[in-house]
Amino acid sequence: MIAPHALPALLPVLALVAAIDAYCLVDLARAPSVRFAPKLVWVLVILLVSSPLGALIYLFAGRDRARPEHDGRDSGSRGPLAPPGPGEDLAGRVPPGPPALTTTALTRDYGGTGLFDVDLRIPRGSIYGLAGPNGAGKTTLLSLLAGLRHADSGTVSLAIPRHRVAVCPDVPEFDGWLAAREVVDLARSLAGPAASTSTSTSTSTSSLPPADAALAAAGLAGAATRRVAGFSRGMIQRLGLACALAGDPELLILDEPAAALDPAGRAELLALVAAMRGRRTVIFSSHILADVQRIADHVGILRDGRLLYQGPVRDLIDTYLQPRWLLRIAGDTAPVAAELAAQPWATVAAAGPGALRVDATSIEAGERGIPAVVAACGARQVSCEPADADLESAFLALTAASTPVSTGAGGQR
Amino acid sequence: MTITLSPAAARSLWLLEWRRLVRTPRALALAAVYVAFGLIEPLVTRYQNQLLRTVSHGVRIQLPPPAAPQALGAYTSQVATIGLVVVVAIAASSLTFDTRHGLAVFLRSRATVTQLVGPRFAASAAAAALAYLLGTLAAWYETSLLIGPLPAGRVLAGMACGVAYLAFAVALTVLAASVARATIGATGIALAVLLLIPVAGAIRVIGRWLPSSLVGAPAGLTGGAHPLSYYAPALIVTVVASGAIMAAGILRLRNREI
Repeated sequence: MIAPHALPALLPVLALVAAIDAYCLVDLARAPSVRFAPKLVWVLVILLVSSPLGALIYLFAGRDRARPEHDGRDSGSRGPLAPPGPGEDLAGRVPPGPPALTTTALTRDYGGTGLFDVDLRIPRGSIYGLAGPNGAGKTTLLSLLAGLRHADSGTVSLAIPRHRVAVCPDVPEFDGWLAAREVVDLARSLAGPAASTSTSTSTSTSSLPPADAALAAAGLAGAATRRVAGFSRGMIQRLGLACALAGDPELLILDEPAAALDPAGRAELLALVAAMRGRRTVIFSSHILADVQRIADHVGILRDGRLLYQGPVRDLIDTYLQPRWLLRIAGDTAPVAAELAAQPWATVAAAGPGALRVDATSIEAGERGIPAVVAACGARQVSCEPADADLESAFLALTAASTPVSTGAGGQR
Repeated sequence: MTITLSPAAARSLWLLEWRRLVRTPRALALAAVYVAFGLIEPLVTRYQNQLLRTVSHGVRIQLPPPAAPQALGAYTSQVATIGLVVVVAIAASSLTFDTRHGLAVFLRSRATVTQLVGPRFAASAAAAALAYLLGTLAAWYETSLLIGPLPAGRVLAGMACGVAYLAFAVALTVLAASVARATIGATGIALAVLLLIPVAGAIRVIGRWLPSSLVGAPAGLTGGAHPLSYYAPALIVTVVASGAIMAAGILRLRNREI
């Protein structure tokens, strides 16, 4: 039916079909995994289903474009985060000066929810924890600070160049077909000239190229050449941090940076952030108050879009510290409990074997009276420590009181 | 937010688009669709009588011997539908960078919308144009072998018109991406508009001025139905409209929050 002179016309068609089949077979051989069926079945589909239909079916259905490892604990390629050493100079110590960032009456109204009249003051070189329950407005506030959303009213004043600000969202995402090193290189090149002249991020990685150093600092040293599509959520979060660090930012905005990390990873990340104190200004949001207390020197408490408090963490705890102590006694607690109960300033309750919970009418009354009572009874005191003296207790007290914006002793409006 | 990119940063955004094309099936899909139609349509046109005989079950259908422009016309009509769907879907997949919030934060906190859209538009349009040119060359080769020669100058002029139309389609996808965040939504909007434009072309007065008239330029020029000057109004409108709708798309994207 087909004339001999038409054969040269058929050859390109056959070559195209063969090329598509060959591409699919090579892709299948190189793929770590495929979808819906074993590799052998896909080989049969490509070869036996009418060419190139089988190959096209494989391309659109069988190809595994993203192979996330769902385990928060990542593969062996994940290394520990590498906080900078004490003598290391990342971007040089941030000199004292005006606050890195201030906002004035910042408002974004989403119809009753959002953010209202927020006056932030982020000291330069500080680690500022933004705490609050879910829906308090933390992410909205960070988006406004990062310039990703517009305020209805109010101002954001940056004392540092905009290109020296890096943002890492709570769920970073990247193109899956890029290798981790390529993602960091992209972030680094987009960060501008400051990043290209920056030194490495860790003493132990100073000999590495900058992108590799940033990956090592984020605990991804062994995954530099791996494609992002195969990363777990924890690894993606580390990669987001590596991208932020690669730009050598003066101001780092982290939204729930430890949300996807396992406990060990979280501890490493917090140590890394804590080590930036004085070198960069870090604003990070978290609803895990223990994390904020652990690394932040300043804290802002948001609820329902309003800033309830900002200032040093210690001041917040001290302000809301209850005059309550946990007293541990070696031996019988009954004589001490009886003596304390007889005091007009104290109420006492058992708090387990060898322990008493003492409530005083004031901090001073407790601090003076408890040692005196213990000494008078001739009891052996094991310890006496303030009860509920943590950020969580202060936060609960603050939010329960529905106090309007207040500022700690060391904080400023 | 003003962000000034260094030459190295701009290069990295272009490199990103190159990698997007070659590391995903995008370039392969484009080339495969256009080249496949370029190879197959002239074959089908040449052997249409034989093909009809095999499916006609005794009913005798005899078509006149095919002409070379007819084969090129069959190719352009196929790629104007299926090829266009692939081009728009591929362009939309790279232009809807706000679809994934984490990726949008990564990109838009580091580069402006114009800096992001520029390489994405150029890479998508260039890849579509290259695929279209390869497909047309394949169709030209097959047609010359099976049916007869085509006038080279007119084929090349027709190819230029086709490329201009594809650039318009990608520019329209930029605007669609500013309307819908999701890739599928942007694809649907762009395709709907592209398919509605030829309907407006039924009005004789404006038909010549619409970008969709460029689709038939290769067959129209090689068949001698129209001279190149016939397509000049549509070419001018296409170039101007492409710039205008892309500017509108960039403006809308710039004002969109993530």
